[in-house]
Amino acid sequence: MLYIHQAVAISPQEIISNKLEVREPSYEGIPRNLLRRMGKSVRMGIGASAPLLRSSPRPVSGIVIGTGNGGTADSYSFLEQMKEYGESLLTPGSFAQSTSNAMASQLSMMDQNKNYNLTHVHRGLAFEMALLDVSLLSLEDVSAFYLLAGVDELSPSNYALDEMEGWYPPETIAGEGASAFLVSGQAQDATAAVRAVATLHTTDVEVVRERLRKFLATHLPEGERISCFVCGENGDARLNGYYKACEGLMDRDTSVLPFKRLCGEYPTASAFALWLAHHKLSGAQNYLIYNIYKGRQHGFILLTGIPR
Amino acid sequence: MKRVFITGMGVISAIGNTVTENHSALKNRVCGITMPPHSSPDLSQVPLAEVSSSNQLLRERLQVFDPAVTRTTLLALHAFREAVQDAGLTAEQISSDHTALIGGTTVGGMSQSDELYRDVSERYAASPFLSSYDCSSVFMFLQEQYRMKGIIDTINTACSSAGNAIGFGMRLIRSGLAGKAIVGGADSLSKFTISGFNALHILSPEICRPFDRSRQGLNLGEGAAFLVLEGEDEIGPNKKIYAEVRGYYNASDAFHPTSLSANGEGPYLAMQGALGTAGLRAGDVDFINAHGTATENNDESESRAMIRVFSEPPPFASTKSNTGHTLGAAAALEAVYSLLSLEHQEIYPSLHFSAVIPGTELQPVTTYYRSPLRHVMTNSFGFGGNCVSLIFSKS
Repeated sequence: MLYIHQAVAISPQEIISNKLEVREPSYEGIPRNLLRRMGKSVRMGIGASAPLLRSSPRPVSGIVIGTGNGGTADSYSFLEQMKEYGESLLTPGSFAQSTSNAMASQLSMMDQNKNYNLTHVHRGLAFEMALLDVSLLSLEDVSAFYLLAGVDELSPSNYALDEMEGWYPPETIAGEGASAFLVSGQAQDATAAVRAVATLHTTDVEVVRERLRKFLATHLPEGERISCFVCGENGDARLNGYYKACEGLMDRDTSVLPFKRLCGEYPTASAFALWLAHHKLSGAQNYLIYNIYKGRQHGFILLTGIPR
Repeated sequence: MKRVFITGMGVISAIGNTVTENHSALKNRVCGITMPPHSSPDLSQVPLAEVSSSNQLLRERLQVFDPAVTRTTLLALHAFREAVQDAGLTAEQISSDHTALIGGTTVGGMSQSDELYRDVSERYAASPFLSSYDCSSVFMFLQEQYRMKGIIDTINTACSSAGNAIGFGMRLIRSGLAGKAIVGGADSLSKFTISGFNALHILSPEICRPFDRSRQGLNLGEGAAFLVLEGEDEIGPNKKIYAEVRGYYNASDAFHPTSLSANGEGPYLAMQGALGTAGLRAGDVDFINAHGTATENNDESESRAMIRVFSEPPPFASTKSNTGHTLGAAAALEAVYSLLSLEHQEIYPSLHFSAVIPGTELQPVTTYYRSPLRHVMTNSFGFGGNCVSLIFSKS
């Protein structure tokens, strides 16, 4: 099991024309000159992660980030620069920032952390893969602490591409955010624990249902139940069948928590779902997070509370 | 701990479309880097290492005509196909929910720089590329093509991406979450990266000279490579095994967004760590396929790190003098070259070297020769100080 010790989320507060946008905090404790040079996703990611790095009982043994769109906003601004000035006279700032691992590496520099550093960018499963990575690390060294985060910004370029592709029907609200977790393989002082994470790629509802059935049979202890189904439903009618099929495997008393009403749709929204579930969970309850991204990527996260 | 072996490989680069072609080019000191003019006027006026096949030729060879499929993805499919054939994997084995696919890339679909600019600025909804621009599009395509049901992941740690993909695949097998993992990377040349590296002033106006005192920077290249990894319990008695993935370590230099610390702290920690995970001593390493980009900064920093780890470093060379720097794919290409060294017990030389870097005095191998090799190390270091070392061992 992967134990969550602390969690921070920077999540949207206001809706601006069908977009749930983050009003950024003042980022206390992060040098101003660094902040000025960062894009929004890097700022949010660092804003959520830096307090956890500071409060970790010992330096973290790994920084593992999931980001679906990391760097595309900076890529586009570098492209705009290329269009304007041709190939010469370009400043490298936005090019350097456009690499998806800019956030994880900035954290390593701020924390002077020379350990494991990885950025998963597998679109709508980027956070689930980061979570899986950290789960493996925590098995390899149970006593170590790790920083795990899922971060995406809602940039005009991403929004335009996704909208043209038809992923924002009127019922769907676009979102953004950064959620970060201090995790380890040890239960002491933990507030919740991830029992398992699973991912799959398919458009077949039956395959999804069968995989969830197997997932629960393997990872939910005998005699325990799911108290809450934390559901990525985003208003897009094309995806309802998958959510209904999975909800059908819950029992009658399982409550349903559709988290995207709070954070909007973005590739690593499941990181916000984990933050939310971790806050709501009490006692020995089990929560199941199920999320679909763009109709083909499915992720399950099984979370359990720690009785105190 | 469960042992993980390499049972298949595939590669496409500026020095050949297959493993066999790459092998023969390495032996014969073929340099795939050319001076301009290049195949497209878009590709700037600096030396580049282009894969000789045009998109049209790749599409015909692979029978992929969907316009949304970018060059990066075509190169990936080309190398993936060769690797799974080489390992003799059946369609059922590839699509098993116990077979993972882990890919590294940094350019991904950004190879279509002009199209991205057009699609966003003109809101061109008829564009076939709307879902092709991100890194994951490359490996999502392979997943769909081969109906893969196992763990699929895309990693971007800049120029060490494929090294981490290999390491993650190995860890998935060791943990039992996968029985087999197809791991590697792909990147293609693009206006975007050429302009970016140009803005950083690290592109060489001449053919690159890794570890040479008067090196002037790197040449960009393109390519893709994949390895088939299998856990020891998945391998039948007569299966061909290239080598074992013995060591993997990822360390951060924690120094600067686009350059390495002068004493090569990150590279030093990565090499030390790989030795540690492999259970080997420095003296056990017979050869190093160095990162060796030929930038002022990298080669000096990597040299200092090698001296710190080995005191007297073993023979080393940089195949970037053959293939250019293929960014997110580089570690996968160089894994294939390291495995060829082990397979054929031979060392492929660095090209265009003439004089040692003052202060480090390290001389790369400059001639081809045969040599008994048991453990080969390969390095890859990315922007943000992401440093990876891998060790492959003859079983």
